[in-house]
Amino acid sequence: MKLKLGIIIAILCMAIMQVNAQEIKTTIDTVKIQTSAKCNDCKERLEHNISFEKGVKSVELDNETKILTVVYKTAKTNEEKIKIAITKVGYDADEMPADQKAHDRLPACCQKDADPH
Amino acid sequence: MKKYVLIACLFLWPFTQIYAQQVKGGVFEMIGGESNPLIGANVVQLKTLNGTTTDAEGHFNLNLERKAPQKLVVSYVSYQTDTINLNETGYGHVHITLNKLKDLDEVEVVSRKSGSHSLRTETRGITSINEGELQKAACCNLSESFENSASVDVSYADAVTGAKQIQLLGLAGLYTQMLTENIPNLRGLAVPYRLGYVPGTWMESIQVSKGTSSVVNGYEAMAGQINIEYKKPDEKDKFFLNLYGSQMGKVEGNLNIRFKLNEKWSTAILAHAEYFGIKHDNNDDSFLDDPLIEQLNLFNRWKYKGDNLRMQFGIQYLKENRKGGQMDFNPEEPHDAENGYGVGVKTDRYLGFLKIGYILRNRANSSIGFQNQVVYHDVISFYGLNNYNANQFSYYGNLMFQSYINDTRHQYTTGVSFALDDYNQQLNDTTWIRNEHVSGAFFQYTYSNYKSLNLIAGVRLDYNNLFGWLFTPRLHAKYNINEHNMLRLSLGRGFRTANVIAENTSILATSKQIVFTKELNIESSWNFGLTYTAYIDIGVKELSITTDFFHTRFNNQVIMDREENPFIVYIYNLDGKSYSNSIQVEAQYEPVNRFELKLAFRYNDVKTTIGGELKEKPFVSKYIGLLSASYQTNLKKWQFDLNVQVNGDQRLPYTGFNPEPYQRPERSPVYAILNTQITKYFKRWDVYIGGENLTNYRQDHPILQANEPFGDYFDSSIVWGPISGIKVYLGIRFTIRK
Repeated sequence: MKLKLGIIIAILCMAIMQVNAQEIKTTIDTVKIQTSAKCNDCKERLEHNISFEKGVKSVELDNETKILTVVYKTAKTNEEKIKIAITKVGYDADEMPADQKAHDRLPACCQKDADPH
Repeated sequence: MKKYVLIACLFLWPFTQIYAQQVKGGVFEMIGGESNPLIGANVVQLKTLNGTTTDAEGHFNLNLERKAPQKLVVSYVSYQTDTINLNETGYGHVHITLNKLKDLDEVEVVSRKSGSHSLRTETRGITSINEGELQKAACCNLSESFENSASVDVSYADAVTGAKQIQLLGLAGLYTQMLTENIPNLRGLAVPYRLGYVPGTWMESIQVSKGTSSVVNGYEAMAGQINIEYKKPDEKDKFFLNLYGSQMGKVEGNLNIRFKLNEKWSTAILAHAEYFGIKHDNNDDSFLDDPLIEQLNLFNRWKYKGDNLRMQFGIQYLKENRKGGQMDFNPEEPHDAENGYGVGVKTDRYLGFLKIGYILRNRANSSIGFQNQVVYHDVISFYGLNNYNANQFSYYGNLMFQSYINDTRHQYTTGVSFALDDYNQQLNDTTWIRNEHVSGAFFQYTYSNYKSLNLIAGVRLDYNNLFGWLFTPRLHAKYNINEHNMLRLSLGRGFRTANVIAENTSILATSKQIVFTKELNIESSWNFGLTYTAYIDIGVKELSITTDFFHTRFNNQVIMDREENPFIVYIYNLDGKSYSNSIQVEAQYEPVNRFELKLAFRYNDVKTTIGGELKEKPFVSKYIGLLSASYQTNLKKWQFDLNVQVNGDQRLPYTGFNPEPYQRPERSPVYAILNTQITKYFKRWDVYIGGENLTNYRQDHPILQANEPFGDYFDSSIVWGPISGIKVYLGIRFTIRK
């Protein structure tokens, strides 16, 4: 029983190390993008969706400025692709306007003409 | 010379401390363009416990800690919490205006909180288990939700029904009051199978508190309280589907749909169905290891959110069918010795609730609340040749008024409540009818001085038509020694009416007879608890260590005495001492980012006078050890969870008077249970795979005289460990977010 437990823990540890080892090699860049997010729901929605974009390593929306900070691997994605992804969630990304269909699907409180709250 | 330097240092030392910035300001609200002071608003430095409350003019004065961020968190009940950056505003006259919250329930989640965490600012010691934690044990229902909780133990009640019971402080789950959204629920006839009545994916969070609880919810919480919050109609995901299957053949589906009809109305439909139809007998005792289960559970709830008026109501229907017993028993044929030993439990449960809240417009922090619930529970069952049919009708109503005295540091809740329970039970040829109604009034005072002392003192007086007047005082206090050390104290009384048959259905699955030797009194106890929590900074992370001690002393308890006679279980009132002492140490730390570790140890000393002799209570582990580890990869793409629980030895009921083959050792062995789960998250899908009881630990021969189930010594109730072995499961979740 002890042996089994040991093996399981070892495998788990190896899996964790593997994940970390992969992260170190590639080149990393950071971009700050002004979005049209309105509220905390917007923040959750944007962070969740963008985190599943290829190459994205971290993503955080500033609640005050609504600036989205994205850290990404340059080999896998670029600034433009990230901005397009933001517009597809339904928000403006710097000069790029939101995808109209996606924007209209957002709850009323998250659309561009909603009062900031 | 040295002396002077020392003295100078001593004098200067306080100044270096004071040199830390002082900040002055006021907290206000805007009413019709005028700014009005907010009295008793909390002003706390970010990431510290360093804080103060505003005075009668709304002013405050605070010495800041240098090391911590120069930011203030300003909060006030029913107002939006604001964070003020002092580097921007300056320190002299900070004028803070708070906006009224549109919705009282609005909660903002700031960062990833550990799955199960103790709530720092609560006066009572409350551990909250959130949705993230609930998903760690993907399977099924409430009974699996406590896998990572050090305070709550879950065990099997017997070897034939699959019923599970919780224990808190080493005391049976009966002594823990269960609430759903702050209304007492899952009482009476629901007790034996109640953990199966709450599907895991319906729950938003669970709050566990040890010791007696608030007087607002009645006198029942004797050892602790567990409150379950279901998913709300107007929050989070629009659509959620969960499908689950195990290698044993159990399948389960959950569907949650939420609609927001307009700004004020929203509704949710929560549905759960499970089916387990494959007979297993891996220990070859001719009995099913796990009973066959069919369950359908439906819940529709509504929420109305006006400016001042809030309302929630809903209806729930549950149907469950359990079949257990011998492999070749056929429930369609007559239930007799020829057919074999069978168990069947058919349950229908109907529930409706209505909650109304009214927020007073002209007085901050004041509201009126009215909770109502009706339950009808019907059970038709047989255990071998024992037939047990029963139904219960219950109503619960609680009218509360909440406000403050002088300023909002002194708050109170007062009100009246009425509870009615009509039981109709029939065991073979005996019928019991009990109509119990309890009318009560309560007053609870809450003092909150954020900085040091918080106090909740409550009293309630109830009149019970069967047991007369009952007086319940309760006190909870929390003292912050400093921002890293806090002390909590709880003291209180509790009562409970026992429902002997429903609470001991495991005895029906034995050859024993139940004999009541006396008229039973209401159970009553005092509970005392002391909790010390220390937060220690190690590197950037905080190690939290909680040590608690709880003592429960019964003045009266219903004793189930099975140690006198092999064929009879005597039920009588406690005559002598009965107590529980429980000491627990729990440490939590995040050594690497997103890797959480929890280690806990508890020692139980639970003794009861049975047959004139003070004995260790059976089926209580002498000690419990828990290790739980959880790792989440960056951006929560993968999650790995592992937990190990070590169960100490338990005293087993005396079997020395049985013939030798039907005797069992005095104590159970020590054993460990290992569970694990891996979850992969996609944008809309989650896939999880997990295993329970991975070391495949099983209790051998759980049933006495299994070969002759209608013999004199048949007993399926001596269960101290898992009966079925390793369980592997796979599931998917699909979510459409708001």
